[in-house]
Amino acid sequence: MLRFILRRLVLLIPVLFGLTALVFAIARLLPGDPVALAAGPNATPAEIAAYGREFGLDRPLLVQYGHYLAGLMRGDFGVSIYTRRPVSEDLAAYLPATLELVFTAMLIAILIGIPAGLAAAVWRGRWPDYVSRVVALGSISMPRFFLGLLLQLLFAMWLGWLPLGGRYPIIEDPPTLVTGFLTIDALIARDLTAYFVALQHLAMPAIAMSLSPLATIMRMMRASTLEVMQQDYVLTERALGLPQRLIVLKYVARNAISSTLTVIGLYFGWLLGGTVLVETVFDWPGLGLYATKAVITQDFMPVIGVTLLIGTLFVLANFVIDLLYGVINPKVRYE
Amino acid sequence: MSMTFGKGISRRAILGAAGAGLAGLTLPSHVFAQQGGRRILVITSNQDIPNFDPHIATGYSASFLLRNIYDSLVRVAGNPPKPVPALAASWTSTADGREFVFKLDPAAKFHNGKTVTAEDVVYSFNRAIRLNKGNAWMIQGVVGPQSVSAVDAGTVKFVLLKPFAAFLQVLPWIWIVSKADVEANLGTDDGQNWLRTNIAASGPFKVRRAEAGNLYEIERVENAWQNGGGNLTGVIWRITRETANQRMALQRGEAHIAVDLTSEDMDALKDRPGIVRVLEPEYRTFSIKMNTMKGPLADLEMRKAISYAINYQGILDAAGYADLMIGPLPHGILGHNPQLPVYRTDLAKAKEHLAKSKTPNGGIKLTMAHVSGLEQQRRWALILLDSLKQINIELEIKPMIWPDMVAACRSPETFPDFFPVYQTANYGDPDNIAFAAYHSSRNGNWQNAVYKNPDVDALIEQGRTEMDEAKRVAIYRQMQEKVVADAPDIFGVLEKRRLGMSDKVKGFQFVPVASNAIECFGLSI
Repeated sequence: MLRFILRRLVLLIPVLFGLTALVFAIARLLPGDPVALAAGPNATPAEIAAYGREFGLDRPLLVQYGHYLAGLMRGDFGVSIYTRRPVSEDLAAYLPATLELVFTAMLIAILIGIPAGLAAAVWRGRWPDYVSRVVALGSISMPRFFLGLLLQLLFAMWLGWLPLGGRYPIIEDPPTLVTGFLTIDALIARDLTAYFVALQHLAMPAIAMSLSPLATIMRMMRASTLEVMQQDYVLTERALGLPQRLIVLKYVARNAISSTLTVIGLYFGWLLGGTVLVETVFDWPGLGLYATKAVITQDFMPVIGVTLLIGTLFVLANFVIDLLYGVINPKVRYE
Repeated sequence: MSMTFGKGISRRAILGAAGAGLAGLTLPSHVFAQQGGRRILVITSNQDIPNFDPHIATGYSASFLLRNIYDSLVRVAGNPPKPVPALAASWTSTADGREFVFKLDPAAKFHNGKTVTAEDVVYSFNRAIRLNKGNAWMIQGVVGPQSVSAVDAGTVKFVLLKPFAAFLQVLPWIWIVSKADVEANLGTDDGQNWLRTNIAASGPFKVRRAEAGNLYEIERVENAWQNGGGNLTGVIWRITRETANQRMALQRGEAHIAVDLTSEDMDALKDRPGIVRVLEPEYRTFSIKMNTMKGPLADLEMRKAISYAINYQGILDAAGYADLMIGPLPHGILGHNPQLPVYRTDLAKAKEHLAKSKTPNGGIKLTMAHVSGLEQQRRWALILLDSLKQINIELEIKPMIWPDMVAACRSPETFPDFFPVYQTANYGDPDNIAFAAYHSSRNGNWQNAVYKNPDVDALIEQGRTEMDEAKRVAIYRQMQEKVVADAPDIFGVLEKRRLGMSDKVKGFQFVPVASNAIECFGLSI
């Protein structure tokens, strides 16, 4: 298993290297004049050229790429041409918020999706199956931002139970940042009030984010459970008179969950790159909006930095999923 | 096949647990309350403040921060805007407009406790010129490296490279830093890296919290040198991306001022208890530039035909709270001529000019670019499409991202036939918009990519250097007439500034320059 882990980690290097090369080339070859834009409306052509030189944009592309890679080795993701802020500082500021949102959304999706999918398969053709089908269809069909707006209207404007947006009440100081996850930081600070307040802020955006993966996980789990339930060994277990609950939870669910795990891994990456709408609706200060703004203004370094970061997290998430296969099913061998 | 899960858990227990969960989620009432004697004004905006360096940062969000944290020699106040004392308690100038002498307020001191001296002013201006970024363009070619000198510790003298009538109007945007603080943290980049996140200021507020993409909190400086002011102990600049959320935050009492509201939001706020709507004309123009150098629109008759064919009422209706522009300058600014004859919808005249053009029957296809995602611009593009159909001209509408549009301005060959532009006056003088939007030295730039008329250039230059106000009015009136005769733009609308405000906010006075970069010193809640 150690060999497997090492091999996968080594394979990560060329993947990320390829990713940087690709994104770097695309970002530079796109039409448009971000430097003129960043230099401001009153900059003369000479000033625009000087501005570009300041960021090394007058050098050959390969030299620029070499400098970028050298910087990456030192943890330097470059500087935004608009804000002049180091991209690494921005990533450190925005990433925890996005990760907290995505992890919570995935947690909701998994905790509801897997049991609901299992129940739908076990009670196939009965009301749990019908309910889960309607929920899945609704969840997949409803755009996240629209659901977000509905949640805001109901829980923030009409009922007044939850805050409209943000991560924490703005006139209060949040708990001391340790992990950047406010819920965890509140627990570290042993401040339960802060924990619940952070949870209240997290609730609506996380629910809005979770519905799409929840529906997919639920349907995947249902399909794979039904497939496993047709296997001979399940028939044998039934013939031996094992309790139904034992058969389903111990033997069927364990085997059925493997294919669902793959979807979970893929969804994790998809959510990381797709938070922008929910972040916009709920004023969640995360990576999605930062990345979108950078793409629209063709701000090279943040675009490359975000892509690299999400790419790395995506690969790592799938790597963890690969490891989980073995934990759930010991028959899986790492070679 | 059937199974039983959760045996023994009653329906009542489940409902009880759900109720308890919901109760737990209910927001405590203290969340939005002002705490411990703190009086925090919350302003909600969609723009971040990525850089605090007063000689680099631009944009209204940065201006908000800088004008509350830093001081300049003079401030801008009133409507129409006038320079009023700030760090400079008084000033004198020579009749030719070349020399200005400012007497600093002896009480003025930086947050570090040191007195603001003439040396700090000289250092700040020289740094702004040296870096040549941010607002430095406002004094470019007017203030040189040798222009500013310290007569004594409390007196600064400016000898301008050339007379500049708007000099006092631009001074509010050149901030004074503490020389000692910046020199101590100079690094290799003239202190840029340090000032990006640190403050060397003398203003009434200082930064308390800065959370990128989320909020910026400033708090009142203890023993600030400025006298009077409102009762605020602090201000939070809250980033709220959606304008609807800004409106809802205002309605829920989570924010006191919302600065990016749409016309629809303003409609929704009408007659809401506790909300005050600020709808004031501002020096912000919207026009559609035409390619006067290449293609069918290089023909003056064609431009006039189009100028008459436009459905101006449609443009106004689509804008919401706005007024139609009368000529190239905004209403109310020095020299603006409200009686200026301009183009209004007149199909007969449009056809008359079309008949004199190189394509008397139309039958051509033109292109209009607009910023992708800006719904308002798309609406105006559709109105243009509809208007041009009346004179048998087709229009292709091309949404583009802003960097691509800026790139298209580089030459007449790449500039589209129609190019929509908002121009916001950075200072309350006609020179600002006249120079940026109609002087040919700006060609290749998005504010004036192609238009060139030597007579107009000469008038704009005259207006810059003339110190007599009456003569300036005459110059700018002449300039407006010439620009209208050239028809380089479809003069669109002046959108009113739309601010939503809680009625708890007291002491607010509208100034038509940078009115969304709220100055908070005089405010109370």
